[in-house]
Amino acid sequence: MKLKITLSASLFAITAAFLPRVASAEVAPLDLVGPIADYKIYVSENLEKLVADTKAFTDAVKAGDVDKAKSLFAPTRMSYEAIEPIAELFSDLDGSIDSRADDHEKAEKDPEFTGFHRIEYGLFSENSTKDLAPFADKLMADVTELNKRITELTLPPEKVVGGAAALMEEVAATKISGEEDRYSHTDLWDFKANFDGSRKIFDLVRPLIEKSDGEFITKVSGNFDKVDVTLAKYKKGDGYELYDKLTDDDRAVLAAAVNTLAEDLSTLRGKLGLN
Amino acid sequence: MGKDIDKFTTTRRSVLFGAGTAVVAGLTAASAAQKQGEQVTDAPVSDKTQERQSFYGVHQAGIVTPRPAAGMIASFHVLAKTPEEVERLFRTLSQRIDFLMKGGTPPEFDDKLPPSDSGILGPVIPPDNLTITVSLGSSFFDQRDWLINHKPKQLSRMKASRNDALDADLCHGDLSLQICANTPDTNIHALRDILKNLPDLMVLRWKQEGSVPVLPPKADGTHETARNFLGFRDGTANPDGNDAALMDQLVWVRQSDEPSWAQAGTYQVVRIIRNFVERWDRTPLAEQEAIIGRKKASGAPFGGTAEFDVPDYSNDPEGKVTALDAHIRLANKRTKTSDENRILRRPFNYSNGVSKSGQLEQGLLFICYQADLEKGFITVQRQLDGEPLEEYIKPIGGGFFFTLPGPANEDDFVGRTLLEASGHQMTRIKS
Repeated sequence: MKLKITLSASLFAITAAFLPRVASAEVAPLDLVGPIADYKIYVSENLEKLVADTKAFTDAVKAGDVDKAKSLFAPTRMSYEAIEPIAELFSDLDGSIDSRADDHEKAEKDPEFTGFHRIEYGLFSENSTKDLAPFADKLMADVTELNKRITELTLPPEKVVGGAAALMEEVAATKISGEEDRYSHTDLWDFKANFDGSRKIFDLVRPLIEKSDGEFITKVSGNFDKVDVTLAKYKKGDGYELYDKLTDDDRAVLAAAVNTLAEDLSTLRGKLGLN
Repeated sequence: MGKDIDKFTTTRRSVLFGAGTAVVAGLTAASAAQKQGEQVTDAPVSDKTQERQSFYGVHQAGIVTPRPAAGMIASFHVLAKTPEEVERLFRTLSQRIDFLMKGGTPPEFDDKLPPSDSGILGPVIPPDNLTITVSLGSSFFDQRDWLINHKPKQLSRMKASRNDALDADLCHGDLSLQICANTPDTNIHALRDILKNLPDLMVLRWKQEGSVPVLPPKADGTHETARNFLGFRDGTANPDGNDAALMDQLVWVRQSDEPSWAQAGTYQVVRIIRNFVERWDRTPLAEQEAIIGRKKASGAPFGGTAEFDVPDYSNDPEGKVTALDAHIRLANKRTKTSDENRILRRPFNYSNGVSKSGQLEQGLLFICYQADLEKGFITVQRQLDGEPLEEYIKPIGGGFFFTLPGPANEDDFVGRTLLEASGHQMTRIKS
């Protein structure tokens, strides 16, 4: 009989988790000014690095140095991936900088297929820099333009806060499969940048809800930690192992962490009183 | 044959020119009246949305429960490793299944937050005859030291049979959910609810949905077996699911050499069996019937006249009536000893899209249950290996699972007996 009672109590504990939740109303719009300003600095730093790294990367491509260009591909992308929710606000540039072959009807042969992945295709699939110079020039120009546009942009708070979840949605929907960097298999670098970018946003707004929602903070931090521990297993030199080294079990661990972060972070805007 | 064509042409002409028989005219009039006032995008109507199955009992629902029109198998990778995590998994699953099978109103959240429910069935969830059946794969036990000694004796990783071309992305799994309801939308709603509520403990590996063609009720109240995508009735020789003694013998685990926690559970076999339907449709009727061993229209065995006539092979040792390698004869020899090899089939037909060669990706989502996996599916499949039907079918996925005993009542949860057997003290007790 005792068993029955405890089971009952415990079922209630679970049910309680599904009772109506109320978005926090305690966060005033002004409270967000500081975190947003800090995030703007984070974005600027990443853009600055992106411009410099892209210069070195595209120079190597144009110089015909396949090995150097290959080695710079993954690290160059990281500062783009970290701020992807903001970079994606300009869909024309996101398309020309970061689209994939299957975004285009004629795939790799499509003239609209440009940017990082077009160059990746040349370098890793064809092992050559042949005909890549125009793509390198275009990428450099696009990245420069992106930097200019974002510098002039006032960051919308809901886009910034929503970006934490948006990064996880991206990973969950189209990256966990290893389809992003399909020619170079350097997906784990992108993952790391996506997670860092999401965590940055979370960490900036964290003090605003730390007191009211400690359980949430602990859970989300725990899942970010789980991702870090899992990715750390694949660290190699300054970067990461190729994606095909990822075991099925670790892929499942990452997938579960991403899904859970996506679920939890989807409430972040509401918790901060944003629409 | 010529006569049939004439009849068909006449009927078609009747409909086309609106000058048909009374029957045709009557039908047209009825549907016209019924449709009055209906709009193009009105939801189709069903009077079965309040049909409800119970999650509770000695056995789980969805096994001897009459199969509804829509079914799905979803296979998961389970992240829950510790006894505490597995307890949370089982309890949360049970709590979601309880809600989904009963139906009702999901909690309402602040509109600045994502809603608690996908809303695809509207603000009030109808039960719609939903059942969700939870089963565990061999890997669930193998990958948890504390469970390894508690694995059901016959649970193993499905091995490829001779004709199989298994796709690793459609095979096995730590946990399977069989989700069945009157409509596919109800199944999809249930799956999305479970995914949303257990993102940290389960990751979806593969799923296959299927359906069964619906028939009008018969005036005399009798039933007939549904057809598969080969156009044949599938399940005619199933043991009677209403015969509790027979189910105890063939379906529910009661063997003394099985763990006591597993009693009243059952072995679930899932097979995704592609059918080469274009080729099948280009095969002469007589050959189709010879391969299966039944008449296509009636479902009667050779030498019989009605579906449920029992074939008598003792008078046909050379296979003159029913070929020795006919599907139904290889599967069930109809002898005293073959009786123990009977399995409870509960399949659905699936249709997925188009192959690279431009052919239909269709087939059978085969699901069956048995108390003894070796005597059941494994033996039957071994008998079928090499059958002529193999030219038209290709198993591409599936797995073996153990269906947990049923939760006794609302204070219980699915999988409790396993956790208790492992020595786990239910620690997740918060008040």
